Amino acid sequence: MGFDIDRLRSRVGRRDPDSGADDVRTDGGTEATTGGSRFARLKHSDLVQSLPFWLPPALLMGLFVYGAIGWNLLISLTDWSGLQQPEYTDLSLEMYTQMPADASFVAAFRNTVVLLVVFTVISLLIGLGLAILIDRNIRFENTFRTIYLLPMALSFVVTAIFWSWMYNPSTGTINVILRGVGLDFLAMNWLGDTRTRLAAIIFALTWQFSGYAMVVYLAGLRAIPDSHYEAAKVDGAGSLRMYWRVIIPQLSAATTSAAVVLMVFALKAFDFIYVMFGDNPGRSADILAVMMFRVAFSRSQWAYGAAVATILFLMALSVVAPYLYMQYKRGDL
Amino acid sequence: MATADESRQTIGDRLADRREQLDLTRVGLYAALITLVGFYLSPLWAGLTTAFKTQAGFVNTTPLEPPTPEWFTIAPWADAFSVMQGGLINSITFVLPATVLSALLGSLAAYGLTKLSWRGQVGVLVLFLAGVFLPYQSVLVPLRQFWSAVDLAGWLAFAPFLANRADLIELTITHTAYGIPICTILFRSYYKAMDDDMIEAAKIDGASAFGIYKRIVFPLSLPMFAVTLIYQFTQVWNDLLFALVLVTSRSNYVVTLSLNELQGAMAQEYNLQMAGAFIAAFPTIIVYVIFGRQFAKGIAGGT
Amino acid sequence: MTELTLENVTKRFDDDGDVIVAVDDVSVEIDDGEFLVLVGPSGCGKSTTLRMIAGLETVSDGQIVIGDEVVNDVPAQRRDIAMVFQSYALYPHMTVRENMRFGLEESTNLTDKEMDSRVEKTATTLEIDELLERKPGELSGGQQQRVALGRAIVRDPSVFLMDEPLSNLDAKLRSGMRTELQRLQEQLDVTTVYVTHDQTEAMTMGDRIAILNDGELQQVATPLECYHRPNNVFVAGFIGEPSMNFFEVTLSDGQLVGDDVTFEYPLSASIRETLDSRSKLVLGIRPEDLEIVDRAETDHDFPAVINVIEPMGNENNLLVDFLETEGETTFNVIVDGMRHLTAGGRYAVRFPESAIHLFDRETGTALHNRQVENEPELLGPRA
Repeated sequence: MGFDIDRLRSRVGRRDPDSGADDVRTDGGTEATTGGSRFARLKHSDLVQSLPFWLPPALLMGLFVYGAIGWNLLISLTDWSGLQQPEYTDLSLEMYTQMPADASFVAAFRNTVVLLVVFTVISLLIGLGLAILIDRNIRFENTFRTIYLLPMALSFVVTAIFWSWMYNPSTGTINVILRGVGLDFLAMNWLGDTRTRLAAIIFALTWQFSGYAMVVYLAGLRAIPDSHYEAAKVDGAGSLRMYWRVIIPQLSAATTSAAVVLMVFALKAFDFIYVMFGDNPGRSADILAVMMFRVAFSRSQWAYGAAVATILFLMALSVVAPYLYMQYKRGDL
Repeated sequence: MATADESRQTIGDRLADRREQLDLTRVGLYAALITLVGFYLSPLWAGLTTAFKTQAGFVNTTPLEPPTPEWFTIAPWADAFSVMQGGLINSITFVLPATVLSALLGSLAAYGLTKLSWRGQVGVLVLFLAGVFLPYQSVLVPLRQFWSAVDLAGWLAFAPFLANRADLIELTITHTAYGIPICTILFRSYYKAMDDDMIEAAKIDGASAFGIYKRIVFPLSLPMFAVTLIYQFTQVWNDLLFALVLVTSRSNYVVTLSLNELQGAMAQEYNLQMAGAFIAAFPTIIVYVIFGRQFAKGIAGGT
Repeated sequence: MTELTLENVTKRFDDDGDVIVAVDDVSVEIDDGEFLVLVGPSGCGKSTTLRMIAGLETVSDGQIVIGDEVVNDVPAQRRDIAMVFQSYALYPHMTVRENMRFGLEESTNLTDKEMDSRVEKTATTLEIDELLERKPGELSGGQQQRVALGRAIVRDPSVFLMDEPLSNLDAKLRSGMRTELQRLQEQLDVTTVYVTHDQTEAMTMGDRIAILNDGELQQVATPLECYHRPNNVFVAGFIGEPSMNFFEVTLSDGQLVGDDVTFEYPLSASIRETLDSRSKLVLGIRPEDLEIVDRAETDHDFPAVINVIEPMGNENNLLVDFLETEGETTFNVIVDGMRHLTAGGRYAVRFPESAIHLFDRETGTALHNRQVENEPELLGPRA
């Protein structure tokens, strides 16, 4: 191999006083080892030393999360119902194949998707709006933020009770206000009427969770350097235009993570509907989470309930898996 | 001279214009913010006014109006409290240990998965992370099977005090288990930012892996404990689903169960319902008002 | 009495299937009480080497021996070493006293009283006894540096490891600390390995310096020996500021002929004999060994033009080009600060034959190094 002085010179010239930390330092690389006592090495390896810390929590969590998911899948393949114990001998996909023909499943599935999409989109929009308002150097910023986020700290049980009262057809706040501003024709029995029931639920849930989207967007906005706002201003972009063209495109990461979490909230919206309507909110507002509970715990159709639960799990997975994969690819894990 | 005067005037005018415009946008901004405050607080306001009104009061007045002396009463609060008293006590007894345990285990797991580096960490971490997003319905049937198979009350028969509260112990363990993923993720992001050199310095100083946790990592993660404990406290306190499935005996009803029952039994007594809702929400509202910053951090970090 | 020996130490990292050799077969013996400086450019493996000695990285191959014990499988906690980190790595929630006590509490059985007296004694030596009850966040960078040092010293370890401990200090503090560290190390007489990328630190502080490049050990010798007798073209270029000038030359008919430049340099027979009949060579000469003369007089003088003059006060740093040649040939010359020269002026550069180094162009190995008068006094007895 020839010796290249220029290369040497450039290498020597590259020594700058602050670059000393660039030395190869990798974490936990495996290496081919020869010699030495394998046992001693093993005993002091970081893996072995780390086990007592993460293994017990991992086992507890693994049993309750992954063990239970597997068991649930198994139960869904049986025909278990009623009071006796499940039999795991005769497994079939029967519970799943009967779903398409079950009108209540189809309705619950459709409502779940509608809730998921509409609730998420509206919450994101409101959250973005709140974040933009709050990010404009206002006074009492903390107070405003605290108030917008407050519903998030409340139990579904509590908010369901509040909103039942809000939607009360005669003296509920919603109708009182509608009548007060002369929109009498809009005042209706929001929760009683099957046409408005799902919309009313979505509206209330949006009230509860838009503050979450606000927090995520606010963090996103604060991460954008001031120079971008200034550059947009120098380029003559108006406020609206600036947000549309310059700022919002930079919030895509915030949007993704907020959307994923909101969708998962929506899939979990059981408590809210259960408190408002009990275990049977009717076709118009039934969702899979409620249906699963009704089928399994009220009617003791355990296997069918488990199958509905599996569908719910797969829906969550289809939202979360791509997100986690993206995070992994970006090296954020 | 004339031109100079003119130009000065125009500049002055323009400045005034802009100030006016600026003020108008500011006014609009605050008007929007305050309207939104109205929107976010209206259900609570309606609940609060109603809880202080008699039956005739909330039927005859709108929830927007505060109670007049004619309709004012605190009876709903006393009634609701007496119904929910047991639930409140039960909730406190299981929520505190569940919260502390899941935070502690999450912190330990995050330490093992961050500060002691080894291959395959990411794989284990993904399992924790996916657990955050689990819809609990998909584990409910096995969960119930599991706890009926374990028969905790039977195991604890030697100590009737504990055996009678087996439901609550089951809830504690269940909430701890499902709280571990989010706690681990919260602590991990914190530990990742912690100085590695410092951990290595402690190693060279002779501290064991546990010694490093106890004397360096744990004291330094107290701010994160505040975040995690507050987040986890509200989550566990607010839960209804697990309680519905796991609590079988009335004497073990937790606060969300009591409130749900109150709502079902007193369908038309809105004043009682509202008072009950506020009583159930009281601990979380207090925690939220005092530690709002940590709560916001918790939910933002939970993504 | 603690010697530290590295025997064929190798570190391989597995980076997504690619094996990266960070440290390649390094062997060094460090005597008891010796101050060894590990120096090299970024990424040369010096920090990895230090971390292997500390027990923070495993050793892929070879052995590390402290005293009589092979420590490959001994965890960092039990190696009886102390380390000073570039970032200081102080425990922010503990006071200075607690920071310094931490290691004593974890690794010794001393009583509280003994620990306190040791901490106080060390703090007095380092003049940080006033700061004992403060937390690191309340200290200046220089003070934190002293605490980090104190935390290492108080343990009275058998080996000190220092990973660029001065690089976060400003230039003025750094030179003061350099002297103080040296004095301390002499006083304590503890075997020390000191990693730096700064060749000034290497030259001024070390009893010996070990130069690493691309994970391979280039030379271990006293600073002056590395300077005057570099093993190869890398060491020659790395040690010395500004760097040695290099020219690619070919030996023909007893003359060194420039490959890129019109340059013919008669070589005396005694030097030719050392070249082992190699003809593709690199000629090296330090800027301070070149002389500027008014016109070419001997056959070792070459007409040249001074492009740039950087006056440093005590000396002038010149950028010089050969005249009558094509291509980039700029090189450095250092002359006395009192000498008056004009930029753009035509002079001649003298290459004294006693000061030239010749390297094999294929391998980079030094074939001939410059003459050194009173060699034993300057370089010490040769091993």
